[in-house]
Amino acid sequence: MRLDGITPAAPDERHRRGDIISIPSTATVDPVRVEVRGLSKSFGQVHAVTDLGFTVEPGSVTGFLGPNGAGKTTTLRMLLGLMQPDAGTATFNGAPYTALPAPLRTVGAVLETAFHPARTGRNHLRVYCRAAGLPLSRADEVLVQVGLADAGNRRAGGYSLGMRQRLALATALLGDPGVLVLDEPANGLDPEGIQWLRGFLRHMAHDQGRTVLVSSHLLSEVEQTVDRVVIVGAGRLVREGSMEQLRSGADGAGTVLVRGPDVARLAEVLRADGAEVTQEDGTLTVHGTTPADVGRRAFATGVELHELRSRTSGLEEIYFQLTSGSEQFAAPSPTVPEASR
Amino acid sequence: MIRLVRAEWTKLFTTKVWLGLLLGAVVMVIGFSVLFTSFAGNAQSGIPAVGTPLYEELALATGANANILFLILGIIGMTQEYRHRTATPTFLTTPRRGQVVVAKLLAYALVSVVFALVVVAVNYVTVVIHAGARGAAPALTGDNLEVLLSSALALAIYAVIGVGLGALLKNQVGAIVGALVYLFVVEQVIRSIPATSGAYKWMPGGALEALTATFQGPELLGAWQGALLLLGYGLVAALLGTLLAVRRDVV
Repeated sequence: MRLDGITPAAPDERHRRGDIISIPSTATVDPVRVEVRGLSKSFGQVHAVTDLGFTVEPGSVTGFLGPNGAGKTTTLRMLLGLMQPDAGTATFNGAPYTALPAPLRTVGAVLETAFHPARTGRNHLRVYCRAAGLPLSRADEVLVQVGLADAGNRRAGGYSLGMRQRLALATALLGDPGVLVLDEPANGLDPEGIQWLRGFLRHMAHDQGRTVLVSSHLLSEVEQTVDRVVIVGAGRLVREGSMEQLRSGADGAGTVLVRGPDVARLAEVLRADGAEVTQEDGTLTVHGTTPADVGRRAFATGVELHELRSRTSGLEEIYFQLTSGSEQFAAPSPTVPEASR
Repeated sequence: MIRLVRAEWTKLFTTKVWLGLLLGAVVMVIGFSVLFTSFAGNAQSGIPAVGTPLYEELALATGANANILFLILGIIGMTQEYRHRTATPTFLTTPRRGQVVVAKLLAYALVSVVFALVVVAVNYVTVVIHAGARGAAPALTGDNLEVLLSSALALAIYAVIGVGLGALLKNQVGAIVGALVYLFVVEQVIRSIPATSGAYKWMPGGALEALTATFQGPELLGAWQGALLLLGYGLVAALLGTLLAVRRDVV
């Protein structure tokens, strides 16, 4: 499999290259806790973010989830001092971004995948080495770290979307920061790239103690990566907690798929129980129940079953339930930057 | 601050914009110098003959015509951050955005001094060769030297104005088109209407003329007053731009 024009390397080799060789000698970093308190921001009539508060702990990967227009990008831009909040604070170990003495050494952020098209990837990185007072050799180190070593001397205008994501990540890594903030980093990455990114972020957090906050509008995209989630809808906090907590909340909330030669009788029984059932030929879709409950009723009624399973992961279902309804508030707001991107 | 100035130079010299603008300025000044010298002494052109002090001062001031290219250099230097969306990593690296504007002012002022010296040197060499062939090469002394250095100073100040204008307007195309329309239309109208020509000396074009022109024209300020006025325009635009535009949310 080719990776956006980069010389392919065996996945395990790439992993080694990304994880060990290129990481600076410090195996662990000073822990940084990110705290957001009472953050609010309006664009005219649209309340993009309202009284939002959450904490991002060091040593773990936190997913920042919500549908498009939920205020994720606006929140991240306020966190990073690019936007002025109407109210509230966002701090790194107590200090707002704009007060950090060496911001790139504390926080690395991937917000844009836009670069000057005529500048090479390496020169792009060197600009920020100069500005942050880092040695120019860091540019080459982070290029290796993200697997762009062979493309460093090419103009960024010719990069694929996946390569742009990698260059943006390389920029974030320049200062070897204790905090990584990534806005939809999987956009444009191929499956292999996403796999690599997952391993990379987990390594950064679990093995090196960094604080990683990664936003996504898809839970399934980050489900395997994140330890904790912060879910927002319509600019408000919907849920904050560990993946385990979210999973336990998912119990009983799933959708069950049932197939069999005579499921119509089962459908009647389940409807009589108050379940929401839709039937299509020999297949039933039962909402708000578990395979165990449906199986018990089928056994009791003596209905022959050929298939009985959870249709969704349950987690996806609860994420959808948590954030549905928020979409309709966010949708008619084309002025919200996230929606216009 | 030195770090930030060097970062701006890295930005400038890792694309080819500077080369295009510098070559454009060189070609422009060669063209004007040759044209000027060709018509020197021609009764209809009104240009004094080769060898006269007035001719020499006029021919050696043609470099100042590249001011528009130096203005564009400064405008691009500032507005490229918004055009190519590199404002985000730039302000992430330097959250105090005023420092970025100051670094750009310094970086472009210093680079423009070098570029401007190249332009006036080409101007002088062209005139020496062409006028020399027509009988009398100008000496690099006294008034002639002063005219050349004044032109170079004017060019460098125009790059500073460009950075300031770019900070104020942020939109690259808008800033360039606006500057061209202003310099070539608005000011020319103001200059030519008797009722408003008195105000012309206080405007950027009038200040440029004060600094470089030896032609008989409308009433102008002294050369140093003109230079300070021009620099003031650039710095005021940069200050207003920082307060009103650059500090706004980066979306």
